[in-house]
Amino acid sequence: MDASFALAHCFGMDPRRSTPERPLVSVVDDDESVRESLPDLLREFGFEAIAFSRAEDFLSSDRLSQTKCLVLDIAMPGMSGLDLQQELRRRRESIPIIFITGQKDDANRELALRQGAAHFLYKPFSDISLLNALDLAIPQ
Amino acid sequence: MIVVGSDRADFPGQTESLLLSVAANQASIGLREAGLLRQQKRIADELDRRVAERTAELASTNRELASEIIERKLAEEALRTSEIKLRQVIDTIPTLAWCNLPDGPNEFLSKPWHDYTGLSPEESHGWGWQVAFHPEDLPPLMKRWRELLVSGEGDEMEARLRRRDGVYRWFLIRVQPLRNNEGEIIRWYGTSTDIEDRRVAEERLARNEAFLAEGQHLSRTGSFSWCVNSGSITWSEEMYRIFEFEEGTNVTLEEIGSRMHPEDLRIFNEMIERARAGVGDFEYEHRLLMPDGTVKHLHLIAHVRGDNPGEYIGAVQDVTQRRLSEQALSKARSELANVARVTSLGVLTASIAHEVNQPLSGIITNASTCLRMLSADPPNVDGACETARRTIRDGNRASDVISRLRTLYSKKEPTLESIDLNDAAREVTAMSSTEIQRAGVSLRQDFAESLPLASADRVQIQQVILNLIRNATEAMSTVDDRARELIITTELQGQQVLLSVKDSGVGLAPEAADKIFEAFHSTKNDGMGIGLSVSRSIIEAHRGRLWATKNDGPGVTFSFTIPRRSEGAIDVENLTNVDDRKADAA
Repeated sequence: MDASFALAHCFGMDPRRSTPERPLVSVVDDDESVRESLPDLLREFGFEAIAFSRAEDFLSSDRLSQTKCLVLDIAMPGMSGLDLQQELRRRRESIPIIFITGQKDDANRELALRQGAAHFLYKPFSDISLLNALDLAIPQ
Repeated sequence: MIVVGSDRADFPGQTESLLLSVAANQASIGLREAGLLRQQKRIADELDRRVAERTAELASTNRELASEIIERKLAEEALRTSEIKLRQVIDTIPTLAWCNLPDGPNEFLSKPWHDYTGLSPEESHGWGWQVAFHPEDLPPLMKRWRELLVSGEGDEMEARLRRRDGVYRWFLIRVQPLRNNEGEIIRWYGTSTDIEDRRVAEERLARNEAFLAEGQHLSRTGSFSWCVNSGSITWSEEMYRIFEFEEGTNVTLEEIGSRMHPEDLRIFNEMIERARAGVGDFEYEHRLLMPDGTVKHLHLIAHVRGDNPGEYIGAVQDVTQRRLSEQALSKARSELANVARVTSLGVLTASIAHEVNQPLSGIITNASTCLRMLSADPPNVDGACETARRTIRDGNRASDVISRLRTLYSKKEPTLESIDLNDAAREVTAMSSTEIQRAGVSLRQDFAESLPLASADRVQIQQVILNLIRNATEAMSTVDDRARELIITTELQGQQVLLSVKDSGVGLAPEAADKIFEAFHSTKNDGMGIGLSVSRSIIEAHRGRLWATKNDGPGVTFSFTIPRRSEGAIDVENLTNVDDRKADAA
């Protein structure tokens, strides 16, 4: 973790802002307040952000191929976050995934990490931990 | 001859002469005889006179004789009347009478016998009567009859006799020999009495007794009667089996006392005192300690006999098996409850975490974003306002979650119904009897009969009762020098029904007496019950009162009253407040 990099973000000085193409981060969460708030924070971080309420919607979206990182909820009606992770592996899509969940469940965490998750965050998480996770997940 | 002959010339001829001479002789004899006759006449007259005398005598005798004959006739008449009367008796008495000859065959059968059997005297004559007996009963009957003929004893037997319509009815047959002065049997006299109804009743009784005995055996219930004054005790078979006394032996209170569990001897003695004081019906649960060391749990109910106030009748049930399974069940249940509590707590925590973490996550993210937007150059004020607005919204959302949870885990609506306080208390004691038993506490329930109904929330009132019982049981947990007794009584007090729970526990410290009803005062909390403060809130919401008084002896009595049903409706608002308080306490 580059401390000066994180510090720079904290003061809104995004080094990526100058680059014409911002990396796309997709958010999949059934909770509306997350879909509302998280993209704004991601944009503040300097990413392009888009939110989906259902895993299926993300899978059928043409933004999938452009997504550089996926911020994914676990417990959702229909396809769960873990199901989506498996489906992406099956499709050989190597999008880094940061899981976010409100339920403390170490078994899920272990499974997610074993299946190649980049990071696993419990809600509520701080902006710094998310930013660190994104920095680790997205290849520079 | 002379007159005829005188008309003839040749009269008298030779023959006629002879005849005439004979006649002359005869005449002379006659003359002589005439003299004799006169003499005879005199004699005859004398005779006549005597005869007349004699005749008079005879006539008199005859008259006497005649009256004697009349008397005799009257006597005969009387005899006949008497015989008729005797016959009437024989024919009317509600039994069949008969008479047999010394060697066995029948001589006489009364009319009712013939009427009953429909057999004519010719048919029944001698040994003919045998056909009237039931084929199954005849052989033993004849066997016995022959034995009696030999032994010369009287006896009685029972056998079925066929009625003229073919129906057999049971008869009691009694026979007795009649002996002459020499002691020889000259007749056998007997009666046959219809005992069908008695037999049927006896059979029914025997059957019912068998049913009862079997029922008692299966349900391990014995019955008894106890005459308090005379001390006489009657036990059913099963009672002996329960107490393991030899069946049929005389039982005394001392012997029963010797089987009592030492810790329950007090209950037993108190029961006797109550009975002697004429207190009335009672119900106890107590234990027996058998010689081999096993413990039996008994449930006893006794009532004063309506027709004899000095006598109790009652039943004792061996509830050991039930107690043991209850104990096992209760143990399993408490283990299960523990598991459930832990599990549900985990589930609850997780669900609360999830419900609260979602909005909390939004709040933090929005607040972070807001801070970033404001610290940018230039600050994104519109965006910051939007995120701040979301922060407030998510804060409210989190608050909603909390109040939803509170609604979910507190009771929604109080259920007002008519409750019988006795029933409500009985359910609670049944539920907690194992707990009470395990704590070595003997429970006595002294419920008022025909207690009026109360309008109350059954579950809430039962929670209060349960709480009081638990407190009482706990207060006695360290008591070892006296019996641990729990007495629950109900009674009517004016317009209120009252329930009190009396213990023989450690009592209350003077400074504690005021504080026990304060919230959170209780040092114990096993999660299932509710504290005294909540109990008091519940009772007060029912417009009742809950208070504690120190016993004359050791221990404390907690009592509460709630209005009887006719008092009117209960303030639902108050009950809802209790729920809120409970929720707050939780």
